Amino acid sequence: MNDFDDTILRAENIAKKFRSPDGGTIEVLRGANLSVRRGESVSLRGESGAGKTTFLNIVAGLESPTSGEIFWDGKRIDNLSNAKQAKLRSDFMGFVFQNYCLVPELNALENVCLASRIAGKFDSAAKARAAELLEKVGLKSRIKHLPSQMSGGEKQRVAVARAIVNSPRIILADEPTGNLDESTANEVMDMFLNLCTECGTALLLITHNPDFAKRTARSVVMSRGEIAGV
Amino acid sequence: MKWWLYIALKQLFPTGRVVSFFAAVSVLGVALGVLGLFGTQSVMNGFHEQIGEKLRDTTGDIIIRQNGRAMFALDQLIADLKKTEGVKVVEKVARGPVMMLVNNVPTFPVLRSYDTVAGESAIPIAEKNFVKLGRIENLDDDTIIVGQRLAFNAGIGVGDTVEIVSPTMLDKIKKDEVPMPVRLEVVGLLSTDYSEVDSNIALVSLRRMRELYGLGKGTHALVLRTGKDVDCTKLAREIQANFLRYPMRASTWLTSNEAFLRVIKMEKVMMSLIIVLIILVASFSICISLYTSVLRKTREIGLTGAMGARPWQIAATYCFQGFLIGVFGALAGLGLTWLVLTFREPIVQLVVGRESLIEFYHFAHLPVKYELSDALWASGFSIVLCTLAGLLPAIRAARLKASEAMRNE
Repeated sequence: MNDFDDTILRAENIAKKFRSPDGGTIEVLRGANLSVRRGESVSLRGESGAGKTTFLNIVAGLESPTSGEIFWDGKRIDNLSNAKQAKLRSDFMGFVFQNYCLVPELNALENVCLASRIAGKFDSAAKARAAELLEKVGLKSRIKHLPSQMSGGEKQRVAVARAIVNSPRIILADEPTGNLDESTANEVMDMFLNLCTECGTALLLITHNPDFAKRTARSVVMSRGEIAGV
Repeated sequence: MKWWLYIALKQLFPTGRVVSFFAAVSVLGVALGVLGLFGTQSVMNGFHEQIGEKLRDTTGDIIIRQNGRAMFALDQLIADLKKTEGVKVVEKVARGPVMMLVNNVPTFPVLRSYDTVAGESAIPIAEKNFVKLGRIENLDDDTIIVGQRLAFNAGIGVGDTVEIVSPTMLDKIKKDEVPMPVRLEVVGLLSTDYSEVDSNIALVSLRRMRELYGLGKGTHALVLRTGKDVDCTKLAREIQANFLRYPMRASTWLTSNEAFLRVIKMEKVMMSLIIVLIILVASFSICISLYTSVLRKTREIGLTGAMGARPWQIAATYCFQGFLIGVFGALAGLGLTWLVLTFREPIVQLVVGRESLIEFYHFAHLPVKYELSDALWASGFSIVLCTLAGLLPAIRAARLKASEAMRNE
């Protein structure tokens, strides 16, 4: 199997323009290219406003590019209907965001299981896997705790478990440690990267932290809407 | 369970708590609305039924009159009426106002005759035990049975003697004769639980009434009692067509009290319309609360979108919350209605007093009649309104773009 065959996600010449409030246009992405191979971890760095989050949203199908194409397993997906893109996300992608985004009315286990429920894969096995993942991220004793009863680091661990519970083929993480102190961020990132390696899940990680970037298999930098390899 | 149903339930009944504050307050608001609506309808139904029953019990089912004039030679007509299917009792009735003197203090009740010879009446005096502290059989030409409230107001009781002066005695005055009041002994109290009757009516024998009114062998009306399931209106029409000639007319208790019964029905509709506003206010509160919830949960909504949730599923989460609040509110409201109306007597006593009830509505007890159609209407209306209240927040949530929602500050 060659490198090309192994690519699960490929973005080609992605451009994105937004209309500014004064009537002009803001060009956020200018022909960004990136591919992620099966099980590969890629970090995406860059200044604030460089277009990293917009790029991540576009490859996830959450936003449409102004021009360019996105391929998933060799098939173009940016022109799919919203419903098909949603199905693709629930089946193959996991998400971790800076702001955890846990449902406050659900405990840790229920929050993790929510991803299985949305994907239509919730059963006793999924529940057991969710409990197992929470144990792996060090939250065995916090399974029944509500988000309001957990620290920031613990919440992010729950978010990581939630992203991985459906065994996605790629996790898209947008500054997952951005809200954490250095020590907690290190712990969470260790756990996160180990889990991705263990599960064979590809990772596209947006981070400002060069140390975290170094720990991924490949690191790229986004500057002024374009991606350059490092 | 579908995830959006699950989330809707969890947002109303979060893990670790029985119910969220929002859900509790919303359900209570709807329940109070349903209580107001269904409770009012049940009480008004009760009024309608009770008043109908009392009117029927105290006036008879069908009344045959002749323009208010006395009627004579009725034997053949009575025989024909008795043979008519559906007619159970035909009673000759004479009635009219008199002056009743008690210790020289006058009151002006209406005397109604009771045929002591026939021993049966078109109104269920014996069957429903309308006579207290005595029996209808004790009534004869020298006795009187006085309405309970009338007796109370006049300060008389069983064993006392009253003097009756009838309007026909005026003729005697014109002829320079001295009219002598008729002295009658009170042998019982009439208690129908309908204050209109109990405070105005007294019963005397038909013979005594004829004498007081100078009727000879005549009567003022023939009052008929029909079977319970007989259509009075239809029967009255048949009697009119087959046996009566102008100016004799047959009317029913329904036509005699048509305006009064219509007022009660209209009162029910008007009160329901006013109380509907309570449910409307509750639904607006639910709408605002759910809308606030959508604004507060923008990022979570964005995340569910990112995880693969479809816009309609996100919308359903909020619509279903409105629906659930409506369902629980309606159920709680129906239960609350039953509870409040079961213990209505002390509540009425506390809020308006029993005397006011008797004074304005002629009843000693607040009547209630539950009707399934009213329960379904009140519940259905609340549920639909609450579901619609969830629609606006649902549309807002469904329109959120996941990428923009995630950026929400």
